[in-house]
Amino acid sequence: MSFSDGIFAEMTDVVVRCDREGATELARRALAEGVPPVRALEEGFAPGIRKVGDLWEEGEYFLPELLAAAEAMKAAMAIIEPALREGGGEAPAKRGTVVIGTIQGDIHDIGKSLVAAMLSAMGFNVIDLGPDVAYARFVDTVREQKADLLCMSALLTTTMSGQGDVIRMLEEQGLRQDVRVLVGGSPVDEAWSKRIGADGYAPNAMDAVRAAERVLGLEKAGPGGA
Amino acid sequence: MNILEALAQRTVLFDGGLGSALIARGLPGGAGPERWNLERPEEVREMHRAYFEAGADVVQTNTFGCNLVKLESEGIGEREEEINAAGAELAVSIRPRDRFVSGDMGPTGKLLKPHGGLDPAAAEEAYARQALLLLGGGVDFLALETIFQLAEAEAALRGIRQVSEGPVLVSLTFERKKRGFFTIMGETPLQAAERLGELGVDILGANCTLTGDDMVALAEEFRGVTSLPLVMQPNAGQPRIPEDGGPPVYECDHEEYLANMMRMADAGINGLGGCCGTGPDLIAALRQRLDQR
Repeated sequence: MSFSDGIFAEMTDVVVRCDREGATELARRALAEGVPPVRALEEGFAPGIRKVGDLWEEGEYFLPELLAAAEAMKAAMAIIEPALREGGGEAPAKRGTVVIGTIQGDIHDIGKSLVAAMLSAMGFNVIDLGPDVAYARFVDTVREQKADLLCMSALLTTTMSGQGDVIRMLEEQGLRQDVRVLVGGSPVDEAWSKRIGADGYAPNAMDAVRAAERVLGLEKAGPGGA
Repeated sequence: MNILEALAQRTVLFDGGLGSALIARGLPGGAGPERWNLERPEEVREMHRAYFEAGADVVQTNTFGCNLVKLESEGIGEREEEINAAGAELAVSIRPRDRFVSGDMGPTGKLLKPHGGLDPAAAEEAYARQALLLLGGGVDFLALETIFQLAEAEAALRGIRQVSEGPVLVSLTFERKKRGFFTIMGETPLQAAERLGELGVDILGANCTLTGDDMVALAEEFRGVTSLPLVMQPNAGQPRIPEDGGPPVYECDHEEYLANMMRMADAGINGLGGCCGTGPDLIAALRQRLDQR
């Protein structure tokens, strides 16, 4: 079994082209040729998502491309993940469990769903509770799923205070030290995140992935943990 | 005179923001401003009256979030009829002679297929229903605003055309990127003009999100790609949450805002108005500038 280093660039490219079928095919071929699954993710597919984020920031890509690239990434992950587990021992199949939702009283769904798609594409186990999520449901799900990360979105200046209320409930129930918390939504900023005691904030879906990696201490590792 | 004749003759003045103005009057956040059509109708009526008194030619109904898809997300789908009817009545009942009321329609809040889960047929039906209710309430024309996906505007137009041949304004929200102006879906003013033109839109425009120089540049780009009447309704600054919590404040130099509005009038924009952060005072000041022109 042998493979050429060019295959990593192909993987990056297939995600950037948002080619879902191509991603599945390439992931299969890579494993057949003996590419270590961790390298396929870290050096191949994950840089594709990062490049898509750069293209979005440049104004070359828009929401449809972000969603389609996340789908291509997911397709590759579906092939790579089982290989990671088999080859595994050390390599966890997922980088952590994320609970995400838009806060009670707020039905905005689009930005939150994009963050969920990106985190899922990057190998997190994402539990999307949807919009209008009751405070207690966030807390209960964090406890039941032993979540590593809680992401709360609020698009309204009047619902954003709920983000702080949920953090206080996590503290009261002794869960806060086991879960990192990120907040987002158009009125939310860094100062707000500090004021309510969150671990971080992200202004958009690409930054949310970076913030998630930062607060979970995963910055160096690609998907799969390694 | 109908709205199209007015837009052809002079720069028509639209009203300013409604949601942000009602929040300033004590509307609690979380609850959509539309609930006040039923719970605090006098506050809404007074807001409309203040805009007419400020000299606005067009007042927009408080029905931004009253399409069935959005109401159902909020769990009040069954109030569709009364909330739209009340919204129309509150503005129409105080409309002075020779002024207009536009039936305001906002986004569904969902992405349409294939990017999201909303079936375009469901969006089409929701807008057809809302259009019928607003027109039944006596509005002079329909205005779809703050739309960020052309597919939604197209579905809405198809729906509206099933129930009315009357004038329709579609106002989109654009962001400024390095290469120009785009919706978050990546659609340009030119694509909007072409695709919505094919479906028989009467008036195009842009509102929200952008402010200042950016809106002027967008107005100029838009003017270059369509001969339809254009209406621009920028925000007055961007919202900022004060340190002590409380309602958001919009920081904006009103002199600069008015100067930018006049630049747009000079660039051949047919209708001007405000969005978030603008109130009757600013609209009154704009009335004065337009009259002095």
